Amino acid sequence: MILSGWESVFFWVFSIAAILAGLLTVMARNAVHSALFLISSLVSVAALFVLLGAEFIAGVQILVYVGGVMVLFLFVIMLVNVGAEEEGRAPIFNRPAQVSVSLVFVALLAGVLVMYAIPKGYGALKERDKISAQQVSSARESQQRSLPPGATGVSRVTKETERVGNKLYTFASLPFEIASVLLLVAIIGSVMLARTLKQEIASDDVDPEVLKPASMSTATESKEAVG
Amino acid sequence: MLLMFFQEAGRVSTALESVKHPDLSKFLVISAILFIIGIAGVLTRRNLLVIFMSIELILNAANLNFIAFSRYLQDTGRGDALAGQVFTVFIIVVAAAEAAIGLGIVIALYRNRETIWVDDIDLMKW
Repeated sequence: MILSGWESVFFWVFSIAAILAGLLTVMARNAVHSALFLISSLVSVAALFVLLGAEFIAGVQILVYVGGVMVLFLFVIMLVNVGAEEEGRAPIFNRPAQVSVSLVFVALLAGVLVMYAIPKGYGALKERDKISAQQVSSARESQQRSLPPGATGVSRVTKETERVGNKLYTFASLPFEIASVLLLVAIIGSVMLARTLKQEIASDDVDPEVLKPASMSTATESKEAVG
Repeated sequence: MLLMFFQEAGRVSTALESVKHPDLSKFLVISAILFIIGIAGVLTRRNLLVIFMSIELILNAANLNFIAFSRYLQDTGRGDALAGQVFTVFIIVVAAAEAAIGLGIVIALYRNRETIWVDDIDLMKW
């Protein structure tokens, strides 16, 4: 896969934006700023997905991550507001010794990955596959030409989403079902975790014998609070 | 001396060429950098919510890697091109489930301990 022309310009713009926004996510003092920078990083990565020809994944990324997960994050940040870190009274990073050791580890990881592992692995891959830029671009061109044109006539309508859907329901149908069970478990689990003891007592789906000690302890607590 | 200059110029021109035509390895480098920023965030921050966000960053770097290899396989025709995209869908599903459960835990923790700083949460330490 070799990009060229405007594609490479957009590649550099969005990749640098993703990395800068990622850095600011980790370094921002205010958790809300951090969440907003993470949103911009996710949108930049979605743009890179579009460059790679995965339009469906880019759409899912924006709908699920930005529209769902990050909104949930913002809600929770606003529920548990921590003033001390934002106002500069508390350090945002952990103790200096641990931070420096972990940064050394991370720098080592970065050095080995970027300087050694990726160039060597990619060199071996190129050696094995031996594809030239012209070959790839001509294959892509002919593939593009076989697609039907869009309504405006400027772009082509891809079959990418259809193919991903086919794959999802044939090759990956069992993992798909498992993912649905996982989501159900996540829904029930998060409802159970977020429920308070008082709400559990108020609902009548729990065995009263189980609740007796719990309700007694809350009663004594409230009595203590009054007294 | 002149030879060295020409070699250096050749190296610069190939570097410029790879900047003009980014290939698979550039995508891998970008995703590695995002992954490492995420790891650094998990290891150094004290705020539990920012640690969760760094985990999202790590998962997103893995997604970028999957999609880049999917496109590479599509271009070379050596293997199943769409498997990477299917994997990415599952990673997004798992990330959403993880965020829901994790934020539920954060809420329960804040209700009981009034803190979300990871070095104050030491209930299970002895």
